[in-house]
Amino acid sequence: MAPHWQNSSLRKNPKRWTGIGANPKTDRVHRRQSFRIFQPPRQRQRSEPQDCELLLPPFEERRKSFPAKMVNFTFGQIRAFMDRKENIRNMSVIAHVDHGKSTLSDSLVCRAGIIGEHKAGEARYTDTRSDEQERCITIKSTGVSMYYDLTVGGEAQGYLVNLIDSPGHVDFSSEVTAAIRVTDGAVVVVDCAEGVCVQTETVLRQALSERVRPVLMLNKVDRALLELQLDPEEAYQSFARTIESVNVLITTYRDELLGDVQIEPSKGTACFGSGLHQWGFTIPKFAAIYATKFGMDVARLSEMLWGDHFFNPATKRWQNVPEADDGKKLKRGFAQFIMEPITQIFDCVMQNKRDKLEKIIASLGINLTAEDRALEGRPLLKKVMNRFIPAADSLLEMIVLQLPSPVVAQKYRVANLYTGPLDDECATAIRNCDPNGPLMLYVSKMVPSDKGRFFAFGRVFSGTVRTGQKVRIQGPNYVFGKKDDLFIKNIQRTVLMMGRTTEPVEDIPCGNTAGLVGVDQYISKSGTITTSDNAYNIATMKFSVSPVVRVAVEPKNMADLPKLVEGLKRLSKSDPCVQCTTSANGEHIVAGAGELHLEICLKDLRDDFTGIELKISDPVVSYSESVTAESSEVCLCKSPNKHNRIFMTAAPFKDGLAEEIEAGHIAPEQEAKARARDLAEKFEWDVSDARKIWCFGPDGRGPNLLVDMTKAVAYLNEVKDSFVGAFGWATREGALCDEQMRAIRFNVMDVVLHADAVHRGAGQIMPPVRRCLYAAQLTARPVLMEPIFLCDITTPQEAMGGIYACLNKRRGQVISEEQRPGTPLLQVKAYLPVMESFGFTADLRSHTSGQAFPQCVLDHWAVMSGDVFEEGTKPNQVVRDIRKRKALKEAIPTGEDFIERL
Amino acid sequence: MVLFLIGLGLGDVRDVSVRALDVIRRAYKVYLESYTSILMQGTAAMVELYGRPVIEADRTFVEQGCEQMLTEAKEHEVCLLIVGDVFCATTHADIFVRAKQLGITVKTIHNAGIMTGVGCTGLELYRFGYTVTVPFFTDSWKPDSFYDRIAQNMRANMHTLVLLDIKVKEQSIENLMRGRQVFEPPRYMTVNRCLEQLLEVEETRKEGVLSADMMAVGVARVGTDTQHIAAGPLASLVDLDFGPPLHCVIIPSKSLSDMERAMLGLFPPRSYEPQPEVAAPAQAPAAPSQ
Repeated sequence: MAPHWQNSSLRKNPKRWTGIGANPKTDRVHRRQSFRIFQPPRQRQRSEPQDCELLLPPFEERRKSFPAKMVNFTFGQIRAFMDRKENIRNMSVIAHVDHGKSTLSDSLVCRAGIIGEHKAGEARYTDTRSDEQERCITIKSTGVSMYYDLTVGGEAQGYLVNLIDSPGHVDFSSEVTAAIRVTDGAVVVVDCAEGVCVQTETVLRQALSERVRPVLMLNKVDRALLELQLDPEEAYQSFARTIESVNVLITTYRDELLGDVQIEPSKGTACFGSGLHQWGFTIPKFAAIYATKFGMDVARLSEMLWGDHFFNPATKRWQNVPEADDGKKLKRGFAQFIMEPITQIFDCVMQNKRDKLEKIIASLGINLTAEDRALEGRPLLKKVMNRFIPAADSLLEMIVLQLPSPVVAQKYRVANLYTGPLDDECATAIRNCDPNGPLMLYVSKMVPSDKGRFFAFGRVFSGTVRTGQKVRIQGPNYVFGKKDDLFIKNIQRTVLMMGRTTEPVEDIPCGNTAGLVGVDQYISKSGTITTSDNAYNIATMKFSVSPVVRVAVEPKNMADLPKLVEGLKRLSKSDPCVQCTTSANGEHIVAGAGELHLEICLKDLRDDFTGIELKISDPVVSYSESVTAESSEVCLCKSPNKHNRIFMTAAPFKDGLAEEIEAGHIAPEQEAKARARDLAEKFEWDVSDARKIWCFGPDGRGPNLLVDMTKAVAYLNEVKDSFVGAFGWATREGALCDEQMRAIRFNVMDVVLHADAVHRGAGQIMPPVRRCLYAAQLTARPVLMEPIFLCDITTPQEAMGGIYACLNKRRGQVISEEQRPGTPLLQVKAYLPVMESFGFTADLRSHTSGQAFPQCVLDHWAVMSGDVFEEGTKPNQVVRDIRKRKALKEAIPTGEDFIERL
Repeated sequence: MVLFLIGLGLGDVRDVSVRALDVIRRAYKVYLESYTSILMQGTAAMVELYGRPVIEADRTFVEQGCEQMLTEAKEHEVCLLIVGDVFCATTHADIFVRAKQLGITVKTIHNAGIMTGVGCTGLELYRFGYTVTVPFFTDSWKPDSFYDRIAQNMRANMHTLVLLDIKVKEQSIENLMRGRQVFEPPRYMTVNRCLEQLLEVEETRKEGVLSADMMAVGVARVGTDTQHIAAGPLASLVDLDFGPPLHCVIIPSKSLSDMERAMLGLFPPRSYEPQPEVAAPAQAPAAPSQ
């Protein structure tokens, strides 16, 4: 299948191009067969069972029917506007699962003319994969670049919007992280019936920590009116509550440099509407409609249309109390002037009051064709509302006015993004968004192409990326001045990412998102691309989920093993979070954030990356090893040549320290004195000890510490590297069962070294240090820790019995149960051991007749009670099982197996 | 019964002493310590000469598994052959101590070693100070404690013998931690590499102990027919070819006696040229020990 850019007629005359998604031949075709391992595919719980989606033809047929309509813009236009940095908006759409991100994105895609109006709200253009369409769930982040002519503030201007639609399911949070990194603003979508959910909080927190400015879209207002039958005042209360809870979150995670980003409807940072029905409004939008009537300016009137402002028709004045002087009840501005007309339209359409509707339509100046008039019920409602207050206009206005351009955003984002000194040429170029500065591009994810290769998708922060340009590709392990994880290669081609397709362009200047061809062999998942020899890396993304659920895969037919190995490499590239590793006994392990994530990964592995039959083991969980006491003795190990001696002890962390390290609040790059002060204040460390932290581990930043407690040891600095290396190794594979260590502080008590350097090389020092770490761990009352999910379930009251039954069976523990204000729904929070979570979703569904749907996210690690060494206890059994699976020696080692005597 | 520690000398398998040869021929087992130094001719030549099988005792054996050899030594006469002279490496002392603790009689047969072999440069052996070993630097591991020892020797007006790292049966760090018995190809440090590293350390320490124009002596294959010595300013030696291993370096003290000067004058800084193999002896050259 020829890729799209090789289509010569297209290249010669781009204007002849007929539209995105127009040519099914050039689009990537997926196998439609769905592959499942743990559970039947999710029947998505839809708010409206009569939803037109269910009546739609299968995806492939629908795709063909995407209209071959001229788009509203040419790529020439897009390219031209890439240089106008002030008029670029890079934004992501983020939300809880099923709150309507993709549907909402449709209205923007439609406004740009990429899909037809009658498709918008149903096509979910940004769900590019067949499984995304079939399951009605977004799995991958998808970018679309769009151009709009907008009249803003009386001036017609062109705007380039680079939109990224992200998944809402918690298992795919890493995709959200990758989307947020390359954008400057985020539209947070909240279902106004369900309110703020757990994933809303997670994505909002991520956005704020990346200094991405949020605006709010209160979606599914049609639901509030039709299903919950809220009257205008109740609707206001419900919206206000939701906005309040969003603002609470924003305050919690506030960032000084980002400034005040509170949602204020009267300032236009909140939009209300329905993605499905393609309508929406902001308060200023309505204020503009009423401004002449009231003879007030728009800003002033906007103030009146939100909050406790009531219009007294008798006095023709606004007042702050809901009662007039004569005791008459007054209506709230928002309710009277905004919700009332809307509810009236709803009422007229749904009750089929044609005459009244005609009157309203005429008074609002809505033109309906005869064809439109023939519609009834919801389709008519959609038409009328969409003509009245089109969602795209309100949304775009909000995006353009409220979200920052790259020029504005990069000024305050640079400190978060760049790991080098903030006054070097790269930092300066990023800060100024300088297209003539050195190229600084961050690749946040890899997008599979139809050729079995990958586009590197990322954001140009400074400089200009060009086809054929020679660049330095710095992986996440690149260290300034070293040569590891560094490649110097040419970029074969730069492309625009357009949802389903790509469009080649000569170059892409800073402030834009870009796709790169031909660098995929050199980037594993993410990386920095630069033209400056003096560039430090752009900070690696921090994910809110970690791969804790793993399976072992092997080909059904062993002759396919090379295909599997190759496929695993590509799978690892295609997903920011998945981990593909080979265990010591040669098993191929795939690790994902949750069951669904893993299921999708394995499906991709089978269908797209290998095309072979796979055997998949039962899922297993990552555990971690920790200690609960100080080592019972100072452990000694000698080097093979007996000339070097290492003395160490281990001790547990105080509660909370491991979490602080994982959150990056206590980090290796922190200044040693500041870190020491933190440790002393929060965790009662001795300041002088805290200053002598040698390293974090595993991977240089994990939640274990190595502390130098020695006094005046000669040559110690010459063996530090060997200690650090051995520490990384030992903490990654603990003594109990080769699982990662957690929350252990190792103290180097004394070291005796040979005077001659050849006798204390890495070969002499690393093995005893590793053994000594193990001895210290095993003499400090070792325990096994298991990961625990925080499980968030929104459900009607009557399903509670089933939820409790399910949780009890699986060692689950309900921690809170709250009524959602204004809804008949309960929100249940529970802790559930990851080990017990396999099949939980399906089980819960069957116990509650499909009414409860859990969102599970890794919350914390809990010690498994029981002595690991005592036969018959749970941790003992788990350790034995893991040792057996990993083909380790059967007996659990004790300190005596490692300690040497003088 | 008895553990014999036998020095094999520097050059040739036939450098072994007559007394030693007697012992070897009648011993119960013959081990060869093969990691502090090596004989470039290989074990095959020894087996042919001694008419006895020779068991190679590599680093792991000497450091960890001497038990087997020591147990045998309790009952029988066992030889441990050491290239160069006995007791030049600390490991040998360690074996001596362990054997004594087990009540084994240890007898030693000496031979020439590198510590005395360097006399061939004409530098007075009395005036040698601390001997140092220069390890292979890696990107992140550059121990420089030898720099202080050289400085000490310089201050005391003494020569420094610089031994060079050899890596035989070395595991990569990953293989080491994984416990895989996979070995890297053997590496022997050359005079050139050593001098580069010395200058690199000077670059970081900047204490003026070493410099490009100070006197140095490069020595290769001491005690063999192809022995090669070159003396001159450090910079002039960096690019010389010293030929096959083993090499070592001497940093002479600042003041030299007339005799030392005269001797060094005989070894101008020039590259090693292999001689045409006309009157080549039956055996190829062997290598010195540390």
